[in-house]
Amino acid sequence: MNPEELVLSNLKRVMDPELNINVVDLGLIYDIDFSGDGKAVITMTLTTPGCPLHDSIISGVKYCIEDLKQFSAVEVNLVWEPAWTPARMTPEANQLLRG
Amino acid sequence: MLGNTKNETNIKLPFSFILFSLPCLIGSMALILFQGDSIINSQFRVPAIWSAAHLFILGWALMTAMGAMYQLVPVAFLTPIWNERFGFIQFAVTAFGILFFAHSLFHNPESALVPGLITLTGILMFLLQMFMTLRKQAKPNVLTLFVGTALFSLLTAILLGIIMVFSMKTGFISDYYQAVFKSHILLGTAGWFTLLIFGFSYKMVPMFSLSHGYSMKPAKYVFTFYAAGLSAAVISFFTEKNSLLTIALMFLAGGFAFFTWHMLQILKRRVKKKLDYSFRFALLAIPAGLAIHLGAFLCSLTGSFESTIGYLAFAYLLLWVALSIMGYLFKIIPFLWWTWKYSKEIGKRNVPSLKEMMNDKASIPVLSAFILGILSMTVSIANEHMVMFLSGQILTVGASLVFCYLIISVIKK
Repeated sequence: MNPEELVLSNLKRVMDPELNINVVDLGLIYDIDFSGDGKAVITMTLTTPGCPLHDSIISGVKYCIEDLKQFSAVEVNLVWEPAWTPARMTPEANQLLRG
Repeated sequence: MLGNTKNETNIKLPFSFILFSLPCLIGSMALILFQGDSIINSQFRVPAIWSAAHLFILGWALMTAMGAMYQLVPVAFLTPIWNERFGFIQFAVTAFGILFFAHSLFHNPESALVPGLITLTGILMFLLQMFMTLRKQAKPNVLTLFVGTALFSLLTAILLGIIMVFSMKTGFISDYYQAVFKSHILLGTAGWFTLLIFGFSYKMVPMFSLSHGYSMKPAKYVFTFYAAGLSAAVISFFTEKNSLLTIALMFLAGGFAFFTWHMLQILKRRVKKKLDYSFRFALLAIPAGLAIHLGAFLCSLTGSFESTIGYLAFAYLLLWVALSIMGYLFKIIPFLWWTWKYSKEIGKRNVPSLKEMMNDKASIPVLSAFILGILSMTVSIANEHMVMFLSGQILTVGASLVFCYLIISVIKK
């Protein structure tokens, strides 16, 4: 498993408690970058800028990477551009929401 | 990057307001139960009804709205609460003031000035808190306009209320007492609650339905129409021009109709096809509010506004304001408790979803019984039917009791 796959697999533990779908399948993770000093940089968004679960989801993402021994540090960049759209969801997540 | 995302409020603050509000809801509903004779005869200016109305509006609806705002403003406007410690002091002052005020209105309305001033102090502290919080918002938007105007309406309504108590005691501006009274009611209900619900609906409806790609442009027209209606109505009260009041009611109904249409447009763009039951009740309050607005306009047009405003206002407060708040509380309370208990656990272990925190299906019988009770009371006021009033109010008290139980039972999860 390459580092990106490892991170994505671990981030699937972070569920959006309102939708009960993980942040990866929701398409909230925009980019994963690794710096030379063992730091993982996650660029992500939320489904809406005023999401009340803002802090909880971000701290969950941070914890899930810190939990991996391969990385010495983690930085989470929360961005609103480009805005999240439903098109970013996996077919499985889409199916769950659309019933 | 992570540091500037810390917008969550200490959960004890919104919870204090919401838990305080629950006995006020039951108390106000129980008080109304024993005032059937006066209510069905449209005699609303009775001390016990004043007390029940203020316990309901201030003790339940306002305290719940304040609690919800302490939670929602930081996340919706992306700015932390200005001063949480000040928030707890504000809670204590307002809670004491409201209970003292309701007690004074019941026993001796002429002594309500001091408790009214204490309540005013609490509300002014809340307004200061919100002003200091919102001014830090990096990019004000149309939501800021709705919420800001709602807060301004609340301030004006409270000041007018204090003028009324002062006028009763001293005869100050007694010639304008009726105009002040009507403006107080209008700004406290349509100005404060409706604009606040409009504003937060623009945040909560897309959030709970996962709607995307809709236009926010109609919100400007909603605001313009509704604010114009409010201003024209206040002017009509002071100038005693019925034709202007009819025009004002047309603008208010127009603004509400625009809002209803806009909400439909937003919901058409939703990803989540099966909406939660409690959320559907909050949405059901919108057509109810629209029907009441249209009813008020038509009554004014036919010259029967004065004789129907009592039960229209009653239905407005309960079927629009209360139903919206109750529907949204089914969503807000589980979120608050979840944040308190599981926020730090996300990603570390399996945590329950928000749906598992509260029995959403229970909202169907509880809120249906509440609606049925209110409808039956509204009809009983129109028909002066005592048995229908009592059965309707018993149903409403029962539904309120179960509602409060469901809210409190979340704490066990």
